[in-house]
Parts: sequence; C-alpha cells; structure tokens
Amino acid sequence: MTYSTTSPSDSGIQASATLDTSGLLCPLPVYKASVALQKLAPGEVLELVCTDPGSLADIPALAHRVGHRLLRTVASGGKQTFWLEKRASRSESVR
Amino acid sequence: MEPEIARIDDWPARSRSTELGRSDERRRYEDLRELLPNVANPTPLVRVRRVLPDGCAPLYLKLEWLNPFGSIKDRAAAYLLRGLEDSGRLDGKELVEPSSGNTGIALAALAALAGRKLTVTIPDGVPDEKKLLLRMLGAEVWPTPDDLCPVDHPKDGAIALARSLAESGGGERYVMPNQYQNPDNVKAHYETTGPEIWHQTEGRVGAFIAGFGTCGTLTGVGRYLKERNPEIRIIAVEPQKGHRLPGLKNFQEAKQPEILDWDVIDEVVPIDDEPAYEMTKRLFREQALIVGPSTGAVVEAAARVEGEIEGVAVGVSPDSGLKYLSYFRELLGDEGTPRL
Repeated sequence: MTYSTTSPSDSGIQASATLDTSGLLCPLPVYKASVALQKLAPGEVLELVCTDPGSLADIPALAHRVGHRLLRTVASGGKQTFWLEKRASRSESVR
Repeated sequence: MEPEIARIDDWPARSRSTELGRSDERRRYEDLRELLPNVANPTPLVRVRRVLPDGCAPLYLKLEWLNPFGSIKDRAAAYLLRGLEDSGRLDGKELVEPSSGNTGIALAALAALAGRKLTVTIPDGVPDEKKLLLRMLGAEVWPTPDDLCPVDHPKDGAIALARSLAESGGGERYVMPNQYQNPDNVKAHYETTGPEIWHQTEGRVGAFIAGFGTCGTLTGVGRYLKERNPEIRIIAVEPQKGHRLPGLKNFQEAKQPEILDWDVIDEVVPIDDEPAYEMTKRLFREQALIVGPSTGAVVEAAARVEGEIEGVAVGVSPDSGLKYLSYFRELLGDEGTPRL
C-alpha cells in the first residue's frame, strides 16, 4: 500500500491524496480510505485504488454512510479507482 | 499451629543468592503465566446474597477478573496461543485478532511476555479504558465501526477487518487466533473452567449461567458439565439489539460463532441494558463486587431463571468494573456527589 500526496490524475479530477490498496481484501481498503479521508480538509479529493471486487460495493456504501461524495468510479483490468470528495462537516466514525 | 510466617526472624540471613525459585506454597512465581488458572489454581467462587429474590437457588459467581490479565479471556488466549505455537502457525508472524477488549488484553499480555507483536481490531463502542490498556501493553489498536463492512454481516466490522488483515498479501504477515472459530477456545473452558466449577461445587452445580459472546465459555463449560451430569441447566444470557454490554452478543445483529454448540444450551435469557447496569450497581453497593456490566447481566439472568435448580447456580463474572469507569460515569450522573 502506498499513501502519497500527489495531485493531478488522468481522470481530470484534482486529487489531494492517492491511496493504493492493491492486494488488500475488503474491508481493509474501506478502513484505510476512512483514515486517509480524515487527513484531508473538507472538499479535498482522495484517489483510491483497490483490487478487491468487494470494493465496488463497500466504497460507495462508505461514501453514503459517512456523507462523502463519490465523484467517479473506474473499473478495468481487475482494478477499481474511486475519487472521493471529503464531506464538509461531521467527524467520521473511524478515529 | 503457628503459621510459618511468624518465624520470619529465623530465616538465615547468610544466603546472598538472588535466585529464589518457584514456590507454590509461598505463591512465588518466576513467570506471570504460572498464575493462569486450572483445577489446582482455580479462580474463586463467591456466594452472591441480597440482590436475588427469595426462592432463587444459591448463586456463586466465578470471579474471572482475578486472573493474571484481568478477565476470563486469559484462559482462551493462553490456549489459542499455545495451539498456534504447537502447530508452527505462529512462526515468524504477527498476531491479529478482533476483540471487544478482554481477549485482546490477554493476548497482548501473553504476546508481550513472548516478545510478539499484536494488532487488535476493536469495535468502536468499547470503552477507552480497554483501548488504553491494549496500547499500554504494546498492541496496535484499530477502532472499527460496527458497520464498516455493510455488505458483510452487520455489527461484525472488527471481525471482518481482522480477517482481511490476516488474509491480505497472501497471509504472509499475520496469523489470527480467531476466538470465534478456533476450537482451542472451547478446549480452554472444557479443560479448566468446567472442571474447576465441578470441583469447587463438589459436583453440586445445578445451573451454569454465562453470556453469549464467542461462546467458548458456554460451549466448553456446558459440554464438560453435561458429561458429568446431563441434568445441569446451561443458561445463556443474550443482550438486546444495539446493546451496550461489551463482550456480549445478540445473534440477531451479530453472526453466531462457529464454536457455539446449541446442544449444550438449555435456555436463553434475554437481558436489557438497564436492568443489567442496575444490577451491576447493586453488586457494587450490596456485595462490594467491583464487576463489569456483563456480570450484572449474568446475575440479573439468574434472578429471572424459572423453575427449580437442583443444587447451586454458578454464574460467570467475566471481568472487573475498573475497565468501564467511563460507562459508570454516565450511569451515575450526579449520584454520589455532594447534595447542597
């Protein structure tokens, strides 16, 4: 897993941070995404890369539960990439 | 006869050896693990009075918080680790385990003694006291929302997270003792808790009461006691959905552990939070028992058991109230503060 603060992505969406959870099984990517989003300011975007197909259900569910905006999802070649915009207020459940 | 301690002045001062060695007689040990319970070194059974309605069978509580690491989970943790060590599955790996605190604390203590690393995934609602104890013991603590994995079983986020840690990356880094599935959990209680209760009650135990959790205690003790006397009633305590009784599980919202053997369970007593906490308070105030809320649930269940119990009832007191001070602060409100 890598966690970095790189920015432009080929999606055209400006990401403030990238989290690669390749090889990790759900719900570990959900957990790590929650922690990564905590480090962002409201409105900033996390680019999240997953390889567990379960993430296609888990990540939208996380966004819905916590209130983050799922801006875009791209799934191809066994890899899923999500762009999540951190919500404006309320603290997340993973501390 | 004068106790030997009275002759303390007779002890020779000449020896300069710093090696005392082990002595059961003097309760002197070389390693904390020697204090783990067994029939020869059982946790105490203490009679509970006053808090039960008239007509109840005599109730004895098995004070599991007097174990070396503070809870009934010391037994399971020791057996789980020994099983992993004996099978070679622990070689070169770190431990990861989902726990509402007590198994984690016992594993963390044993891991510390063995120089091993432990990560504990812990449900979010567990009191901070337990999380801090784990971190003090050197464990890495991952607080986990119950609904972390909404596509998996609800209320089991910590279990799902620990499993994913153990299985990710080909399972190279972690091994999970898995108290919910590992038969060594049951074995711990079949070989220690059950025989202790049988021996301590001189076979006169007529009912055994414990909460649904991992179900290692209920299955292991239940199986042992049923083999001695099939008439012994094995009574499970189940909390309400959305309860606040750490360590206990409601099986409408949590998955039933694979080690649960329904064949040894005779009845299930549902207990709500409020009476469990009220009974916990009464146990503090009327019996000076500094116990956690799951003990209150067990005693409240004992008070509600219907029908006659042949002999005495034995209930489990899994842990100490010292781990739930933040909960008790809410329970008390301004009770016990100066009335001006």
